[in-house]
Amino acid sequence: MEKKSTMPRITSVVLSRMRKEFQPLLGLLIIYAIFAILSSTFRTLDTFKTILTQAVILGTLATGSTIVLISGGLDLSIGSLFGLIAVCTGRMFLLGFPVALVVFFSLAIGAACGALNGAIIVGTGIPAFIGTLGMMMGYRGLAELLGANRDMSQFPESFQMIGRGYLIPIGIMVMTFLLVYIILSRTKLGFNCYAIGGSNEMARRGGVPVKKYYIVYYTLGGLCAAISAIILASRLNFTNSSWGVGLELNAIGAVIIGGTSLTGGVGGVGRTVIGVLIVTTLNAGLSHLGVSSSWQRISIGAVIIFAVWLDIMQRRREAKG
Amino acid sequence: MKRICKQTVLILLAILCITSLAFAGGGKATKEKAEEEIVIAYTGFPGGITPFWAQMTQYVKEEAEALGVTLLDMSPTQADAAMQKDSVDNAINRGVDGIIIGAVDNRAFGESLDNAAAKGIFCVAVDTAIDHPHISALAQTDNLASARLLGQYIVDHTPTKGKALILGGTLGHQTGDARRDGVRQVLEANGFEVIFRACNWDDRLAYETAINELGAHPDIVVVFGAWDPGALAGLAAVKEKGLMNKIKVYGFDGLPPAIKSIQNGELTATIKQDNKQMAQVIMRSLVAQIEGQETVKKLLIDGFVIDSSNADQFAE
Repeated sequence: MEKKSTMPRITSVVLSRMRKEFQPLLGLLIIYAIFAILSSTFRTLDTFKTILTQAVILGTLATGSTIVLISGGLDLSIGSLFGLIAVCTGRMFLLGFPVALVVFFSLAIGAACGALNGAIIVGTGIPAFIGTLGMMMGYRGLAELLGANRDMSQFPESFQMIGRGYLIPIGIMVMTFLLVYIILSRTKLGFNCYAIGGSNEMARRGGVPVKKYYIVYYTLGGLCAAISAIILASRLNFTNSSWGVGLELNAIGAVIIGGTSLTGGVGGVGRTVIGVLIVTTLNAGLSHLGVSSSWQRISIGAVIIFAVWLDIMQRRREAKG
Repeated sequence: MKRICKQTVLILLAILCITSLAFAGGGKATKEKAEEEIVIAYTGFPGGITPFWAQMTQYVKEEAEALGVTLLDMSPTQADAAMQKDSVDNAINRGVDGIIIGAVDNRAFGESLDNAAAKGIFCVAVDTAIDHPHISALAQTDNLASARLLGQYIVDHTPTKGKALILGGTLGHQTGDARRDGVRQVLEANGFEVIFRACNWDDRLAYETAINELGAHPDIVVVFGAWDPGALAGLAAVKEKGLMNKIKVYGFDGLPPAIKSIQNGELTATIKQDNKQMAQVIMRSLVAQIEGQETVKKLLIDGFVIDSSNADQFAE
């Protein structure tokens, strides 16, 4: 009798797990299919490549946010940090730095600023929301100071290659996804990310050096912001200090749409890929349907609410057993 | 069973939302492009940012309607060069016949315009020149000449020479640079010391910059905002510092709020840009090119000064 009742329960748990994992993917496929049916110009290879290219900036940025959110943190400063790195990149070119050094220092600045965010949060004990809000303003101000009254454009040809076309930027995005996927699923750093996000206190009691790990997660977030900013600077061939305004919320939105929880401990970079693709597919698809960009924003807002609501419903069901 | 029903309803709801959005766009996407139909995409600054661009969008739509062509407004919701480049890429993939670009930043489109050229899509620029061989027409105010005109007006109406603060657009932006250069050249030639600050077309930044510079340089006698909302932000700073009797403020655009301010005796003058003519000329030029006709390739429209003597004529 016991065997009979256990099997359906296991099947039900597996099915529930699979549904949870594949729900965002199913959502993406449905959205893509609807646009493909409604618009003949949408179902072309060029449009598909454009969607992937448009996903690059948000995708690399959101990858960093995924790590931070899974660890139970929040980084509101990445949009401003994005602007600051863009300005630093431009300034370094004005100073005559070679391309390799510019890229290296830009990445280093991103990582250092991310580490600073983490250090401020764990060092002072102030909530991540407040700490990174303060840094958001600080980085933006710094970007304005460094970028003021300077024309930062016409970068070297070899730098422009980074963001040009489809292959290199998409390749960088895929590499970033893969690296973070490996970190999260195959390393102690990743396992502890879920443990800390699930319960900070339990992880600490279990001997995990939580503060040290937090700094590492924020550092990775800053590094991803730097990769993203470098790609855009090379793609547009200029920079200015206004870049990245509101981008942090777009990144967090994409991560949430993918199914990573805002409360930490749950999620993954695979989900973020899907979340980012949902956002870019919606933008591109609605453009093909002639829908204004204001309506595009409204629809993405609705999708975020819908995704979080689904997440809450699922948690409630799980809590009920 | 109840759960399955609920999920089915949710999926249907999602499908309904997307299809209804398609109809929100006028339902144009649901019908295949007719053989003779000309479809033009327009992307400018978001209309919510400044009345100049809200008017421009309206004039472009009116002209498209008058010419019987289909217009897709693909302007971004933020003054974001990357978003605007994406909208141009989307328009290219959509297979439109032509694209009108009112550039957030004229330096952002190189690769996109190469793609448009490869696909035979005509691209034209309005208000801001884009330095690319595939831009086949341009309609804009002659910013340099108009700014020089305003510079001379400032010289003529400012008996005491001193410092002049220029609140500029984004550095490297063709339009903003021309306005800065025009005013600066005339003022410097006439003994003014010019302080230039790039404000990225951001009204808040213009206000904060003006407040700071007015504090740092008590001998400023002129504030010029390279766009009217920026000039009004500068005016607010001058008012706040209690310097209205000492400093004259000038703008550029000729927008209704600036004209109203001139009527109220606050803003001294502004340059009127004829954005209606720009919209009409560029739309006609683009349609003519698509139809294979010879047409105007470059139109520089003269701006003119609006001050208290003629503000009533242009007030709405």
